[in-house]
Amino acid sequence: MALTTQQLFDIRSTYGQAVSQRKEVFALTKPQLDAALAAIDGWLDANAAAFNTALPVAARNGLTAAQKVELLYLIAKKRFG
Amino acid sequence: MASGDTLATFFPADNEPPATIYAVYDTRNAHPVLVFDGSTDWEAVFTAILPRNYAGGGLTVNCHVGFASATSGSGRLQADIERMDASSLDTDADSFTGSFQSVGVTAPGTAGQIVVGAITFTSGAQMDSLAAGEPFRLKIRRDADGTSGTDDITTNMHLFAVEIKET
Repeated sequence: MALTTQQLFDIRSTYGQAVSQRKEVFALTKPQLDAALAAIDGWLDANAAAFNTALPVAARNGLTAAQKVELLYLIAKKRFG
Repeated sequence: MASGDTLATFFPADNEPPATIYAVYDTRNAHPVLVFDGSTDWEAVFTAILPRNYAGGGLTVNCHVGFASATSGSGRLQADIERMDASSLDTDADSFTGSFQSVGVTAPGTAGQIVVGAITFTSGAQMDSLAAGEPFRLKIRRDADGTSGTDDITTNMHLFAVEIKET
C-alpha cells in the first residue's frame, strides 16, 4: 500500500534536514524530490512480492516484514550508501 | 531621516522565538544563523523601537539569507509587523497584522553566498500603522510551503541578518 501524502511529506522534510546538516550540494527542487519519492514508493509496491520470493524459504517464512526491510536497507546502504 | 537610511538591524541572537515552528539558532563557519526548514514554515521574531527620526515613509526589510545546500531554485520570505503602542496593545496576545508581505529570492550558485530579499511595506496599515518612537515586533517567516509564491528549495535556509530601512 502506497505511503500517504503526509508520510511522503515527512520523508521529504527529514531528508531535507539531513542533507542540510551534511551541507551537501542538492539540486533537486521540492516537486522533483516529491516525484522521486513517489516513484521509489511505487517501485517498492510493484516489487515487494518479487523481493519476498527471492528470499530463501527459511528467511521468507522466518523473518518478519520489518526484519526483511531492515536487511534490504542494510544491503542497499552498504552497496550504494 | 531620509529615504534609504537604516532604521534597525537584527541578528540571529536577537531572535525571540515563537512557541512553535520557530527558526533554530546555529552557526555556519562560526557565523551565527537562524535555520529555516525547507518543508514547513518556520518563523523568527525581533523587537525594536522605530527611531524618532523616522520620516513617515514605507519600510523595506532586507533579509540577508543563504542556503545550506541549494545552488539553484527559489526561496520565499515573508514579514509581518506588530505595533506595540502604549495604552492600546494587550501584549498577552499577538497582534501582528496577519497580512504578510512577501518576496522571492534565487539561491546563489555557491551555497555559502548570501542573497538579499527586500520585503517592502507601504506606510500605514501594512506596517500596522507603526509610528516613530513606538516599540514593535517584526516577524520573519520562510514560506516553505509556497503559499505566497514559489519556494521549491528542499533544504534549509540560513538567515544571517535583517535590516530595516526607510523605503
